[in-house]
Amino acid sequence: MIQKIFIPIFILFFCLFILSKWTHNFTAFTVFSHTLESAGKLPRTMPDISLINQDGTPFHIKESNKYKMINFVYLNCPFVCHKVNNQLEQIYYNLTSNSLSTKIDFITISFDIKNDDIKKIKNYRKLFSDDISGWTFALLYQTSQKEFDFFLEKLGIWKYTIPRTGLINHSIYIFLVSPENNIIKVFDPARDTEQYIIQQINSCLKS
Amino acid sequence: MSKIIKHNIILLGLIIAFWILSYTYNDWLCETMPRHQLIQLPSMILIGLILGKIFGNKIKLELQWSISILIIAAFSVVFWMIPRSIDLAVIHADFNRLMHVDMIITGFFIQSILKNTIPEVKITFLGMISSMTIATGIALTAFNLLLCSSFTIEQQKETGKLLIIIGILLYFFTLITFFRESNPSTKNQQLMLSQTDE
Repeated sequence: MIQKIFIPIFILFFCLFILSKWTHNFTAFTVFSHTLESAGKLPRTMPDISLINQDGTPFHIKESNKYKMINFVYLNCPFVCHKVNNQLEQIYYNLTSNSLSTKIDFITISFDIKNDDIKKIKNYRKLFSDDISGWTFALLYQTSQKEFDFFLEKLGIWKYTIPRTGLINHSIYIFLVSPENNIIKVFDPARDTEQYIIQQINSCLKS
Repeated sequence: MSKIIKHNIILLGLIIAFWILSYTYNDWLCETMPRHQLIQLPSMILIGLILGKIFGNKIKLELQWSISILIIAAFSVVFWMIPRSIDLAVIHADFNRLMHVDMIITGFFIQSILKNTIPEVKITFLGMISSMTIATGIALTAFNLLLCSSFTIEQQKETGKLLIIIGILLYFFTLITFFRESNPSTKNQQLMLSQTDE
């Protein structure tokens, strides 16, 4: 009798175990959330990569001793990237309206090694208002695709280029990095409202 | 036509169907979510169900093993409904084929086991699968977030709507099974048939 009950219960728990492993204890059901969870718990060190800004100046994220808001886009994106940047623009203006704004920088990095160049990101940056001095648009600098993919994996960003269309499917997370170069918050613009993000940033800046 | 020849013809047809769905039209079927989730995946289950109907008649297991295999079958369906599994299946053709084989095996065992198990298990399993399908459909329709990176939100919502319809149809099928199984005359007929088989 016990054996009869035990077998299905054992199978059930075994299936649940596999499912929990596959979904990071039932917390990550999508490739986006799974990649983020796999990168590790917060706070964690921001991986380093060599970048070049819209003016052609090379830099590293860890060089700045300010808080940083970092997101990823590609200029040929049909929709989502621009929507996220518009959201980020609102956040930027809201933050720059108070005295804490000097403590934070915004960095938008392009995914698209093949198509995006300095001229394009410079022109793209001009689409936003003139007064975005604290917002850098960047490209990879002297970095191979393999190194960039490794960087994204460590960061927790999912990226996949569709072979047919060349479109890049990717996570749209925004990372808040501390002056000590630790990722302290990750925002999901699809879920988190601008007000929530601003509130979270302000609480970090004030502390 | 002898039974063996008939079975071999059906088997050949199923192999051709598998080849067409899994190889020839794989890229086309992976292009949109409704095609992948509502044509390719159920087709594989259907192939398994037909195989089970032809070759699974002799599988008669004890109740605990029947329930265990049905749990694994339900788990398989759940696993391939998880957005991460869907994405990886669409991106990696080999992973997609693993899904196909798993769904065929699942269909085979569902057919073989449900045929020879007690009505209570049959109804519970069908009820659970239909509820699961409806719940997944509602989730896909209600979520305004992109769950599968390989598809679009519009496709996600369309798949959700169709899954709700399929789930409701499955629910009616469960009800029909329930009333048919609870009818004493059907039970007697089944008993007589199984005795004739033996």
